Amino acid sequence: MAEFSTSIKDQGDVSIINLKGYLDAHTAPILENNFVDLIDKNRFQIVVGFKDLAYISSAGLGVFMAYIEKIRDSRGDIKLAGMSDKVYNIFDLLGFPLLYEIFKSEDEAIQKFTESK
Amino acid sequence: MNYLYSKVNSGLSLVILSVLILSLFIYRIFFFVKDSFWFFTLNDLLVIISFVALSFYLLKIIRKKNPSPSNLVFNIGIINAFIFLVIIFSEKILNLLFENFSSRISNPGLLESIIYTIYFLIFFVITAYLLISFKELYFHKQNRGKNTYFIAMLVFMGLTSITGLFFTSPEYKFVNNTFLIISIILIVINSIKISWIAFIVKKEKLSLLLLSVIILTLFILNLTNSGAENFHGEVLKNISPSFQQFFNLILLYGAIYFSVLFFTTLFHIPTAEAYDRKAKEVSSLQYFSKLITEVLDFKELAETITDIATKVSSADASWIVLKQNGDLKIISNKNIALLDADLINQFLFESGICEKIAETKICNLNKFARKSQLSEKYGSVAVSPLRSYNEIKGYLIAVRKNELIFYEDDKVAINTFSDYASVAMENSMLLEQSIEKERLEKELDVAREIQRKILPAKDPVFNNLSISSVFIPAFEVGGDYYDFFEISKDKVGFVIADVSGKGISAAFIMAEIKGIFESLSRMIESPKGILVKANHILKSTLDNKNFVSALYGLIDIKKEELYFSRAGHCPAILLRDGKASTFKPSGIGLGLTNDKHFIDNLEEFKVELKQGDNLIIYTDGITEAKNKDLEDFGDKRFTQILLNNANESVHKITNEVIKEVTLFSRDHTQYDDITLVILKWDKKNNYMEINNGRV
Repeated sequence: MAEFSTSIKDQGDVSIINLKGYLDAHTAPILENNFVDLIDKNRFQIVVGFKDLAYISSAGLGVFMAYIEKIRDSRGDIKLAGMSDKVYNIFDLLGFPLLYEIFKSEDEAIQKFTESK
Repeated sequence: MNYLYSKVNSGLSLVILSVLILSLFIYRIFFFVKDSFWFFTLNDLLVIISFVALSFYLLKIIRKKNPSPSNLVFNIGIINAFIFLVIIFSEKILNLLFENFSSRISNPGLLESIIYTIYFLIFFVITAYLLISFKELYFHKQNRGKNTYFIAMLVFMGLTSITGLFFTSPEYKFVNNTFLIISIILIVINSIKISWIAFIVKKEKLSLLLLSVIILTLFILNLTNSGAENFHGEVLKNISPSFQQFFNLILLYGAIYFSVLFFTTLFHIPTAEAYDRKAKEVSSLQYFSKLITEVLDFKELAETITDIATKVSSADASWIVLKQNGDLKIISNKNIALLDADLINQFLFESGICEKIAETKICNLNKFARKSQLSEKYGSVAVSPLRSYNEIKGYLIAVRKNELIFYEDDKVAINTFSDYASVAMENSMLLEQSIEKERLEKELDVAREIQRKILPAKDPVFNNLSISSVFIPAFEVGGDYYDFFEISKDKVGFVIADVSGKGISAAFIMAEIKGIFESLSRMIESPKGILVKANHILKSTLDNKNFVSALYGLIDIKKEELYFSRAGHCPAILLRDGKASTFKPSGIGLGLTNDKHFIDNLEEFKVELKQGDNLIIYTDGITEAKNKDLEDFGDKRFTQILLNNANESVHKITNEVIKEVTLFSRDHTQYDDITLVILKWDKKNNYMEINNGRV
């Protein structure tokens, strides 16, 4: 299966995870570890950037669900940004826009975190 | 003998020994009576008791050091040289120091008595040491139980010595002679049993040959020089005649033992190399066969390897490191703390001295700057590469403590063994991989079997309604589920769902949702009501990261109405009058959110059915099927094929879609299950129509 990788950068209190490639059942653990690391470091304000993500499977979607409760309980959130139409459709079909805030760009998502403070 | 020796406390024995020797000393100097039989009897009695005590004490000390036979032989050599020098020069030196010293030998003053006694005591200790060394040599590599001959020899040597004192008159001389002859016979018998030579390597055998000639010569010289007629013999005899006799017997034993040793070694030399090699081969073969039997469990195998490595190389500790993601990981450590092994690893591999070695390499830890941080005094390290397909996968490391270092033949042994270990580990890993692969395949077989049993065996038949369904499983079960429920004579329920994840876990969730929909469809009619209940159950039973997308519908045949709700699933498509409409009522996937949020966002759609309506429900396996350029089959292509065949039978339509999807994705593996269900509202269709043409 095709490759998947992530990169993380911090901007103030917000951590941005950028996804690249194919996120499926086999590559999902990589993203899971990213979330675990951020939670360990008490960084609960997370923006996930989708602009380089080519594909996401149901197991990939599951990763977001796995940690959202814990993050929200810690007064944090996962905000999604920069999705292509194709990826957005997958999220939309499952009703994710009703569960997560989805933004056009990372900046908007980060802005939302800083505003809500 | 051993029992007695082990019972004696070493501090106590030292006190007893000191008291005995001191009393001997005092007795000799202050109670000396010339030509008194009773004086000499008591004197010799003291000597004998002291000698036995001293022997036990020395035995204890030597046992503690546990010297090798070569060490013992070397010590005996040094002592012999010392005896030789003392015998030759003692008279001259004493005469130089004290005028006419040796002439006063039979009538000593206080000063002479003291010097004689000290002289005597030196030989006293030497004799005991020689005796104990001989005993250790005799018992080395021999069955410890068989000490009868040795004890018998000691007894007769003792008897010979004592009878020399009491049976001095010529007519009783034979008693002494008899004991002497028996002693000599026993000495010869005991000397023949030199079993330890076979166990030493060729190099040691050669040096032993040379040593034994020198020592033999010294023994013979000392024996001839210590007759009763010269100064040395007279001094000993004056102090204790029986001891002098015993000393000579020990020298005799030495002479005989070393002459036998010389010849035995000589005969062993030609076969030494062959013996070395054979011994190594035999032991390696034994170990190798042991490795083969443990190949099934990698962890156990690693432990056996370190265990055997310490034995093969007589190392104090050993461990294995394996390369894993660029790091070196210790997988088994024997007799060494992980911290110590880690430190030594850092020294060996970070300094680069052992990075690219072709065979076993011996390194010294003396250059290790952080040696003081080790909890034990490790000194010499032998590092062997563990290879597979000419690539170094890890290292087998053995280490010795203190000043013991690894020699060339240890290196050969470790190297041979590490080759075997590499092969065994390689096999074990391959085996583990193939077992794992087989296990996964079995698991997927089970998952596919579960899925096959869960899905409907054939399409149901209803009045005014034709149904055709196609299901194509992916290799890794994708978790698609669909079903039909005959709720009453006029009402038909249907469901299509996709479980997140793959394989056996997806299959189990499928089984759960089948149960949920089977029972809910009998209790609740409203599609929205059913999905709300299903969400409630799944929210609490599923893992956070698992969820299910579903679409549930109900057809009221009498009212000619269709109701459906969608929980995160692909939309339903309605083909009517040559047009395709996509229905995507709002709805969140099952198991993703709480009741209220779910209910608030769930819509229910109602469609008045018209003759010839086709309702198409499917999973994303169709629209996301990919060609070799990784393009999706997509909604457009899908809708177009549906429209092109809208007026055909349901079976014809499903056939066409599947044909096109298969054609499109022929160069790409199918990663997800494909499910397609078409329901046609067809009033001309009655029970009579035969269900054929299924794919």
